[in-house]
Amino acid sequence: MNEQAMTDPGQPADDIQPLPGGAAPPLPCGAESDELIEQAARGRAGQLTGHQRGCPHCQAALREFSLVWEPVRNLAAEQVPLPAAVRTAVSRQIRELTADAWYTLELADGGAIRIAARVVARIARDAARQVPGARVVFGRSTRPGTAGRAEAATLGHRHPNEAVGVMGRTAVVDLAVTAEYGQDLDAVGRGVQERAIAALRAQAGLNDVMVNVTIGDVAT
Amino acid sequence: MGAEAEDSYLVRRAQEGYLDAYAELVDRHGPLAYRVALRLLGNHHDAEDVAQDALVAAWQQLPGFRANSSFSTWLYRIVTRRALNQVTRTRTAESLDRLGDVATAAGEPARDVERELTVDAVTAAVAALPPPQRVAIVLHHFEGLPNQDIARITGSTVPAVRSHLFRGRRTLTRTLQEWR
Repeated sequence: MNEQAMTDPGQPADDIQPLPGGAAPPLPCGAESDELIEQAARGRAGQLTGHQRGCPHCQAALREFSLVWEPVRNLAAEQVPLPAAVRTAVSRQIRELTADAWYTLELADGGAIRIAARVVARIARDAARQVPGARVVFGRSTRPGTAGRAEAATLGHRHPNEAVGVMGRTAVVDLAVTAEYGQDLDAVGRGVQERAIAALRAQAGLNDVMVNVTIGDVAT
Repeated sequence: MGAEAEDSYLVRRAQEGYLDAYAELVDRHGPLAYRVALRLLGNHHDAEDVAQDALVAAWQQLPGFRANSSFSTWLYRIVTRRALNQVTRTRTAESLDRLGDVATAAGEPARDVERELTVDAVTAAVAALPPPQRVAIVLHHFEGLPNQDIARITGSTVPAVRSHLFRGRRTLTRTLQEWR
């Protein structure tokens, strides 16, 4: 879902255009119907302003709008529990996800799609090796003391022989890089991150990817 | 410790892979996901699918959740987007037709039947609003969220949210006036 769908393209955000059939006209006293509708919708039809206290038009409109909005407010106040079947299905699906510890997992309509963690690691390494200035790239486990939250979340889902954690469509990959001497090491590190993330998103369809880069050596 | 602080603790535990912590988050916020889906989609069947999908997606995306918003705001965003995806898949243009298509069940007390009719009418009228107005009306008038939060959830602006609210209230008022 992209953000565009949440707004009305082509309509200025601040300018309320008349709806088909025309906007509600102002009352004979000049009061705007929209403001009275808002007042009633908020349940404040009884809190009259100075003008409204002496205006039969406003009072009649507020009574009408209040009656119209009363069932809306009643419905909004109703408790809606989560159906037990939904809760059970969510628990079952999550158990399935965590059972696929060493695979990414996408539950599509036609069945599950799994990509092994070692394949994820391979994609990241191959992409990182394309970065100018990155001479050698290996996977390497993150030291527990430096693990961040995303890493901690996938810690139980790490392939024993690969420096990658996967869970659902999330992956955390660790890469150890030997850079060419004289290169801007920060730029090399960022380049490795960007290439690896782009490749994992494009090739493995992963949503949330974190790539930790350690430049541990330089080569001349 | 406030509710949000407890949520953040549960989120941290769930991020560490504790399923029981996430189960507690589902108990607390699952009704929110289902309620919003129900109001946006207007029927229980689609709402159940979307709520389930959103709660599983939230678990999958949890490692990427940052505490710069509350868990509930984050979940509102996930469920709203998924509900709108569902709307675009199955256009509910026929929703308004349901206004005049409510049969009374034999044997029910008259008051219950009247209440059911009213609930159905309001549900159909909300579900018939254009999506941006529907989201604004549901999040503001049903969930009680301020415009700023709605703008954050929808990736929109406060003036745009205000505009959708005005239009949505106007349309809803007109529809329900005609129904009465």
